[in-house]
Amino acid sequence: MTEFDAVYYDGRTSARNAVRVRAADDGQIHIAGDAVDVALPLAGARVDPPLAGVARAIRFANGAELRTEDCGALDALFSSQDRIERIAHVLEGRWRYALAGLALVAAVTAWIVIDGLPAAAALVADAIPETTQRAMGDQTLRTIDRTLCAPSALDARRREALLGDFRTLAASSGEANARIELRSCRAIGPNAFALPGGIIVVTDQLADVLKSDAELTAVLAHELGHARYRHPMRAALQSAGAAALVSVLAGDAVSITGIVVTLPTLLLQTGYSRGFEDDADTYAFERLKALGISPRAFAEALAALEGAHAARSRDAGQSLPDYLSTHPSTGRRIQRALSAQ
Amino acid sequence: MAESDVAATAAPSGAPSPWERPDVAAQATPTRSVLPGPETVHPVEFTGTSGEYFRIWIVNVALTLVTLGIYSAWAKVRKRRYLYGHTRVAGEGIEYLAKPIPILLGRLIAVAVLAAIVAADFLVPALAASRPLRQLLSIVVFVAAGPWIMVRSLRFNARNTAYRNIRFRFAAAYGDCFRIVATYGWLLLTGILYPFFRRRLVRFGVENHLYGATKLELSFDFGKPFVRAYFVAYGLFVLYMIGGVLPVVGIAAAVAAGMRVKLSQIAPLGFLLWLPVYAIAIGLTFAYIRARTINAIFNHLRIGPIRFSSSLRVRDVAGIYFSNAVAVVFTLGFATPWAVIRTWRYRMSKTAMTAAAPLDGFVQAEADHIGAAGQEIGDMLDFDVSL
Repeated sequence: MTEFDAVYYDGRTSARNAVRVRAADDGQIHIAGDAVDVALPLAGARVDPPLAGVARAIRFANGAELRTEDCGALDALFSSQDRIERIAHVLEGRWRYALAGLALVAAVTAWIVIDGLPAAAALVADAIPETTQRAMGDQTLRTIDRTLCAPSALDARRREALLGDFRTLAASSGEANARIELRSCRAIGPNAFALPGGIIVVTDQLADVLKSDAELTAVLAHELGHARYRHPMRAALQSAGAAALVSVLAGDAVSITGIVVTLPTLLLQTGYSRGFEDDADTYAFERLKALGISPRAFAEALAALEGAHAARSRDAGQSLPDYLSTHPSTGRRIQRALSAQ
Repeated sequence: MAESDVAATAAPSGAPSPWERPDVAAQATPTRSVLPGPETVHPVEFTGTSGEYFRIWIVNVALTLVTLGIYSAWAKVRKRRYLYGHTRVAGEGIEYLAKPIPILLGRLIAVAVLAAIVAADFLVPALAASRPLRQLLSIVVFVAAGPWIMVRSLRFNARNTAYRNIRFRFAAAYGDCFRIVATYGWLLLTGILYPFFRRRLVRFGVENHLYGATKLELSFDFGKPFVRAYFVAYGLFVLYMIGGVLPVVGIAAAVAAGMRVKLSQIAPLGFLLWLPVYAIAIGLTFAYIRARTINAIFNHLRIGPIRFSSSLRVRDVAGIYFSNAVAVVFTLGFATPWAVIRTWRYRMSKTAMTAAAPLDGFVQAEADHIGAAGQEIGDMLDFDVSL
């Protein structure tokens, strides 16, 4: 038989009653105080799970409640309820478990960031049908057309040569589904990029900077590598995953810390992109060699692009620090291309 | 969404009060319990500690990670129960009664709906091609779904908040909220008139709450200080930005002259200088609005014979927000529990409650007499949609 002190609220009014409680063997809880004398059945009653410093209540089926700080008595009466939260309560009660939790969070987070998220993104990207990815790519392309780019203004001969080179490259690489789109994008400058679904966008400004066909083919091979490995899709999935992870960790922080949440997401994303660039470079070197073109062409293309970008940023009077750039440093990539010959 | 302001201000602050006869009870008659008599001041205090809350928080984050997010619903309940339970009004903690499963269900539904919206955005060609169509659709979704989400989450939170075993309730229906958004929503489009929309929404949120059978009331003159808070903050923001832009341009010009380059060429430097000025302006504006609107709401809130007062000071709130932000950044997020606890403790230390009648006289609403079984069924139909 268990006895303890409690506060009784009948659930009809807010009147507070200090009571003495006796749990009898017949399954009745006897509650007695100055203005109360009732017996309520234990069957059908529930008890709040334990939580540090918070008074727990027995909630009876008729809506009455008994609040008490006497956790031992409650645990004796309700030994089988809320197993999950009982375990959580034990873990929450000691610093050594909290520190173990901290280590676990740090380790799991590190694993997710380094291995888990990229692997999961690659799996999911492979599971998304080609047509869906292409629809996403088309949608992105429409947005780009609306905001950043105009139709290509290259002369017909140059355009045909470019398209022909791309077809040869795609066919020889077994990427017949890949598609090239030419655009004039002053806002973007000399650049090429891959969208989900194997869509590769090349700007007129790039064609202006890269005079030789071998250099252009080298850049196209690099973008084809992105398409081959579904990098655009994986990047989108990874950034969604990184955002979800950060919100799990810091979701409670007051809204003023919103920027704090976006910053690590951005930096994570930058790190991932560098890995993708290296993979696409390696792919490009192989494809070029298969076509009988030296990877040196890639190094030359990079050098030409770097010159063009430097000129652009001198004009605009700004530059981004290297660690915020999504491409690995150009010098290192040129070295890799030269040693891949 | 609306949960943060309306519910967090109205519900958890819940305090007990006067006597009403059960037969008059559940109905929307504002119970003017203007009972004469000496007013009693009841303490409102927060007894939680950051150490305890940190342990709860880190264990819950760890379990959430290990269970791939499933445990997050349990985590939410435990964290909120801790904050409510340690908020002691006249010595008794506030009860948070939500069960984890409905919260989990609500989250799964929300994730599914979001995923469907994103998928539709990419996959429905007509939608992808036409910008006006997309804009029209987002307005329709905002006007139609916004009120639904708001009412749902206010109702869920109210129903699951209790004090002295008397539950709160949120009595408005979807239609009421929809009418307000449809009638006053245009104020949002004007931007500058947003505070008036907000005022209407807060009044709606607070006045449709009941503590048991007793309506929460906002006295009529609540609106003036509430709206003034926004406009004063906007004005200060503009002044601050003007005050801030001059020194930044001055410094940049001096540096440019020193380096013998054109002003436009050191734009990145100007941006770096500008960033903290801007961040402080935003933080101060936010703190001003937050402190003054919470004060406006609580100083005009009545529950039967109970009234409240809130005396948050802008400089305190700003100090707390800035130091929280710095601490959270420099600890990679691990200072979050500390930030939550000190913010909550400060708020409660500036809240006071006065009652003109004993706290014993509040009665439960009729509908809530059904007890545990009815509640379980309610929980199955009722899920939390706030994320």
